[in-house]
Amino acid sequence: MVSRIATALVSSSLLFCFGGAAYAIDLGQELKKAIEQTTQPQTKSGPPQTNTGGGMITGGVGALLGISPEEEVAIGRQAAGNLLGAAPLVKDAALQKYVNNVGRWIASQSERPDLAWHFGVIESNDINAFAAPGGYVFVTKGLYRMLQNESELAGVLAHEVGHVIMKHHLKILQQSQLVDIGGKLLAKTAGENEQIKNLIGNGAEIFSRSLDKNAEYEADRIAMILAARAGYDPFGLPTVLQDIGHAAKDDSRVSLLFKTHPHPDDRLAQLGEAVGDRLDRLKGQTLEKRFYRIKQ
Amino acid sequence: MNMARSLALPLAAFLLAGGTALAGEAGTALKADDLKAEPFRDAKTIGSLTSGDSVEILKRQGGWFQVKSVKGDGWVRMLSVRRGEARKGSGDAAGLLGLASGRAGTGRVVATTGIRGLSEEELKAAKYDEAELKKAESFATSRGDAQKFAAAGKLAARKVEYLSAPGAAK
Repeated sequence: MVSRIATALVSSSLLFCFGGAAYAIDLGQELKKAIEQTTQPQTKSGPPQTNTGGGMITGGVGALLGISPEEEVAIGRQAAGNLLGAAPLVKDAALQKYVNNVGRWIASQSERPDLAWHFGVIESNDINAFAAPGGYVFVTKGLYRMLQNESELAGVLAHEVGHVIMKHHLKILQQSQLVDIGGKLLAKTAGENEQIKNLIGNGAEIFSRSLDKNAEYEADRIAMILAARAGYDPFGLPTVLQDIGHAAKDDSRVSLLFKTHPHPDDRLAQLGEAVGDRLDRLKGQTLEKRFYRIKQ
Repeated sequence: MNMARSLALPLAAFLLAGGTALAGEAGTALKADDLKAEPFRDAKTIGSLTSGDSVEILKRQGGWFQVKSVKGDGWVRMLSVRRGEARKGSGDAAGLLGLASGRAGTGRVVATTGIRGLSEEELKAAKYDEAELKKAESFATSRGDAQKFAAAGKLAARKVEYLSAPGAAK
């Protein structure tokens, strides 16, 4: 039961994330139920919830029972430590600093600018990105290598920032039948401790969960706007989606991504519907020259 | 647009960071959309693409692709086009970015075992790494430093409203 709760708390995502194995079936049902319960049309509330219509996971941030900001960070911290146990940081301090600069600038345009944001590039050839509660965001080296300029990195990071600010993972937990158990455990916690460790577990399998597709579409919409607000060309993320949709068909590094996420084509089409001509006048920077390229 | 210009532009755009050259890459319309003479909403409509139409993508500028197609040569919104062949077609050629690996592909979108990298098994077996986490946290950038970083790249913050979900009431 403990690990089932944990899986609901954190999952990956940009484009992505891995499919569930047999283990996931049970949880998948729980999440499905939870999401179905939360896909009622939403009435208006403040940004960014205003853009969560059309079957989005809903619920005000303030409605997250029993999870304080400190607890959210503690959960994210544990999850991030577990992920790093599977895939350490790329040993390139300049790279890590660079993604923190870009990521923090993006996050500064969000509703949670003062969260202790952390960004990193991890050693994996897979093409993926991960977000955990509390502002922990990681991109794989495989994905980073695909990027061609800073606006594309900004778009990728902004998608993950979108998940964090919308508390997509925490909301699923809140809405699930597991919320009571989670609340009790979390209520006793402050900072990293044994209970959170028990909650998350040692495995980083918690990152192998996918979110509801509408949460992914929402994070895509948020990503383009955060990038635009930050002064970037807002079409960085769509360009990355184009790359993945185009190039990855036979690439095992993304096969599970395709299994658990909306196809990049569908994400582009959804964005197209949402964007229309809204961003036509926003040029923005791409910053090819400044983009940090991994040496090896 | 004459041939010399259409060849020269993508390269120049790439070098000058003004756009992304995609010289001659195949694309497919994801939905019906207008073909414009210039990359602007108000530009003259010179034709229309229907879903599944093949195009040749010459370059990207902002949210637009410059394309050649049997329906005409012009500009179409990039979110209306996918790069590559139609989704259900046979495998694409090696990607523009050299993504196609030397490994035997699984061919289709199916559950796969033995995935290299962060497989389910590897994630499950992962052990919490406090030292690595501390290292990751040591690279944090303050809000103020992020602002300086942005200024150095001539990135100016601006107000932009969030997008509504398609079909959602405004």
